[in-house]
Amino acid sequence: MYAQFFGSYLLNNKIVTPDQLSEAISKLKESRMKLGTLAMHQGLMTANEVDEICYIQSREDKRFGEIAIERDYLTDEQVEELLHAQNPDYLLLGQNLVDMGLISNEQLQDLLLDYQNDTEIYDMDLENQAHFDQLVKKFLIVSEDNLDEYAKSYLKLLFNDFVRFIGEDFTPMAPVPATEYPVNYCVKQVINGDLNATTYLDMPKETAIEFASRYASMDFDEFNEYVKASVEDFLNLHNGLYGVNISNQNSVELALEPPTSVDEDIIELDDDSYVIPFIYPFGTLHLIINFSK
Amino acid sequence: MSAPVILICDDSILARKQLHDVVERYIPEVTIYEATDGRAAIDIYKDKNPDLTFIDITMPVMNGIDAIKGIKEIDASSEIVVVSSVGTQTELKEAIMAGAKDFIQKPFSVSQIKILLESFFKEG
Repeated sequence: MYAQFFGSYLLNNKIVTPDQLSEAISKLKESRMKLGTLAMHQGLMTANEVDEICYIQSREDKRFGEIAIERDYLTDEQVEELLHAQNPDYLLLGQNLVDMGLISNEQLQDLLLDYQNDTEIYDMDLENQAHFDQLVKKFLIVSEDNLDEYAKSYLKLLFNDFVRFIGEDFTPMAPVPATEYPVNYCVKQVINGDLNATTYLDMPKETAIEFASRYASMDFDEFNEYVKASVEDFLNLHNGLYGVNISNQNSVELALEPPTSVDEDIIELDDDSYVIPFIYPFGTLHLIINFSK
Repeated sequence: MSAPVILICDDSILARKQLHDVVERYIPEVTIYEATDGRAAIDIYKDKNPDLTFIDITMPVMNGIDAIKGIKEIDASSEIVVVSSVGTQTELKEAIMAGAKDFIQKPFSVSQIKILLESFFKEG
């Protein structure tokens, strides 16, 4: 399942605001999964039972598992299994929303069920263009005429490349049409050939440091030439892969101009430009694309 | 053999550093020269005559394919490996036609470079 879309799902259903979602995602780094959330997700405990134990924990100095076993909600074996189970990232995101007081455990339980039911049919097959289109439509609320086929396949590859080179712990937000964009640290690359596109990748410098550390598998602690180059490299790599894909599939030949840093404070964008935010725990990146035939 | 001389040509400072670090790890006695575009690579090649040249395709001023052609004109026996994030089929074909011996895709793995260096600089 595409765990990245849980955040979009929450936004679309007006469960959280974009700011609240960003905050919950930024807390993922230091959050640890709680036994109660896991037990609820596995259907071993109800939200009420979890709330009850949390209440007892506020009065007695005991661990969650200990109380759950005493009360016969869980067995020793179940606690062991829960502690060692692999769990999807979106579960932790949901738990953060409960910790922030934005939703109750009961709401989380319902949301997880609804989300799973909603996404079940799309059990992620990245090679399947039709599934992906449905996902994009459903979660990014993109109407048919907003993004053409080339832009959609560009986004699909971008999701893959983020997963492959940066990490799967991101949440994409809906593309927003824009005519101008205020720059943080921004890299631009122009694609020419049978198809013309201008692409930008923008992020605050602090975010770029972490982005680059992940991309280059090096520990950067300041915004330097290597960090800048990493952002350029990523965009260049992604656009290059796109060019290869599209030339194989559609016999469309593309040429890339070298990526460059944007010096202006504000970019003036052509018509039909879209800004797409991607929230990572370490910050938000913005991809800006404009496709013209 | 004497200490190898290697030329790394890439417009990305990150790509140069990554390759530089890996090469130095496996061949500590190596001498490495760096160029940021194809034109500079040809100039350095003329001057330093490296044993092996790593070259990117997409670069400003002069791209990798034209640089390979330029280097081959100076020295037909030059050993050149393309290191590029991607290339279209046409670009790759052109690079091989121009005389590149091998192609490594970025981001490369350390073991890929190690195997390549061993094949070029094996003792005996």
